[in-house]
Amino acid sequence: MIASTPNALCFGDEFPATGAPCLIHVEGHGLTMTVLSDSDANKRRSESVPFSELTVSAGGLDHDQLVAAWRGPTGQRTLYLKNPDVIRAFRQAAPDHLTMPLERAAKQVRQVRRRRRMTWGIIGGSLLAAVLGLWFGSDALVELAVDRIPIEWERKLGESAYHDFLARQEVMKEGPAVAAVTEMTHRLTDQIPENPYTFAITVVKSDVINAFALPGGYVVVFTGLMKKAESPEEVAGVLAHELNHVLQRHGLERIVKQLGFVAIVSIVLGNQQGLGGVMKQLGVELMTLKFGRAQETEADLTGLELLYRAKIDPSGMITFFQRLAEKDEGRVEWLSTHPMSAARAERLKAELALLPRREAVPFSFKWETIREK
Amino acid sequence: MRSEILYPGAFPMVRVELAEGEHIKAESGAMVACSPTIDIESKMEGGFLGALSRKFLTGEKFFFQTLRASRGAGEVLLAPTVPGEIVVLDLDGVSEYMVQKDGFLAGADGVTIDSQMQSMSRGLLGGEGFFILKMSGKGMLLLNSFGAVHKIELKPAQEYIVDNSHLVAWSTTTTYNIEKATSGWVASFTSGEGFVCRFRGPGLVFIQSRNPGGFGAWVRQFIPVTE
Repeated sequence: MIASTPNALCFGDEFPATGAPCLIHVEGHGLTMTVLSDSDANKRRSESVPFSELTVSAGGLDHDQLVAAWRGPTGQRTLYLKNPDVIRAFRQAAPDHLTMPLERAAKQVRQVRRRRRMTWGIIGGSLLAAVLGLWFGSDALVELAVDRIPIEWERKLGESAYHDFLARQEVMKEGPAVAAVTEMTHRLTDQIPENPYTFAITVVKSDVINAFALPGGYVVVFTGLMKKAESPEEVAGVLAHELNHVLQRHGLERIVKQLGFVAIVSIVLGNQQGLGGVMKQLGVELMTLKFGRAQETEADLTGLELLYRAKIDPSGMITFFQRLAEKDEGRVEWLSTHPMSAARAERLKAELALLPRREAVPFSFKWETIREK
Repeated sequence: MRSEILYPGAFPMVRVELAEGEHIKAESGAMVACSPTIDIESKMEGGFLGALSRKFLTGEKFFFQTLRASRGAGEVLLAPTVPGEIVVLDLDGVSEYMVQKDGFLAGADGVTIDSQMQSMSRGLLGGEGFFILKMSGKGMLLLNSFGAVHKIELKPAQEYIVDNSHLVAWSTTTTYNIEKATSGWVASFTSGEGFVCRFRGPGLVFIQSRNPGGFGAWVRQFIPVTE
């Protein structure tokens, strides 16, 4: 009784193109091949071939199969062996004249494997280096790239995201809140030397206590923020922070960083949607843009300076962060991109202490009336 | 386990008859209908890490569904997402196939599915990514394509050239090299073929009569752009 689990594939003129599954026995003089494609065991054909008639080489998709070929009674036969036990038995039993080609085949397999390991080592290493480089040491590179992007492109990028966002929101067109925010913005932007941006500030009716800036100078302030703020200086502090995200081109830096990362990932994993998918992803990214911690700190500090130059009391910014800090408890600082509000407030306090005292000029409107509305 | 392809052509469906206790694994979402004796389970083939690598490396789904005739014999109707033919292969334990990432529809329990790394040039230029599926083991394997499936039978050392985006599956006894479609770089791309695969037998190569990426690009021009 012959075991009926095939251990090789045989190709030849009378066999199907898939190859006939067959059972190989290695014996002292050569191979015995039993073709298993016939389910009736009695009709199964067996064929013996002496080692002297065989030629061997490495083959298959990964060059990891042993290919034995010979001229059979009914034509050319090619045998593909992958089973390690059979290959081992074959190598042990093979006579001298096959040792050389067998060694050559084995060497080829080893070479393919080594080359593959090496390529993957190199790819893995350079990928890791690239990813780490992008993640940590790339800031200079990113800035270099960002410097080459014209403001006009940045403006278009921000504009489409801005309109997309506003289309789904309740925008306040006029009223005391809008007037107040406009006044704050003017006070701040007048103090920016050589400002290449035309800032567009929109007040959106929403309970969210937030404001955000898109690349190109598009800033959105939510009414929730204005309700929560106890003085106009607090709102102006947040505005100064957001304006500096734009001025320092933080959004663009983020995108460039992300783009590099996405490009690498899509090369490795095969990019199903092509560049279109990447661009779409970027659009989504724009709306949920999170600034890195370093960028937040930078925007805080430059924001503080801007407030100072505009003669707006910078302590408003600090009290606002202190109030936010009350909600922060329980969050672990190094896990978040936003530095903890308490730490931010402390940092700003220290920075403010270094600046010479300066008389602040109050705003022309009454904050209480605006908050009520 | 017996299978029958219903409505052959562009919108086929496959009926698999399961005896009591038998089960089949299918791409998640492939089940169209089944007998009340069939239980549907979701399974991470190859364990959590295997499923994870399949999901992230080949773009296949994280879960496979297992359809088990646990309460008596029954039948299952399966269909792929895209219009196109279904092929039934019978794995004999020694034949192995590489399958492009969207090609797997269903397989008997004896069929093993692995994700495998390709070589540098195949990964970069083959258009399948660096990771593809490798099917081995014993039993029925159902593959699906976009468009009709054409089978190319290659004798030992026989060669054939295939546009890489039309590949569905190929046996591991074949080898292939990626090359430019024409001798010049510019003409290679202006001819619309870019890179092609030069296959060398013995073995089978299954190709699909339509190119999903090309079809996507064609459809895109008709999608209205919303402001």
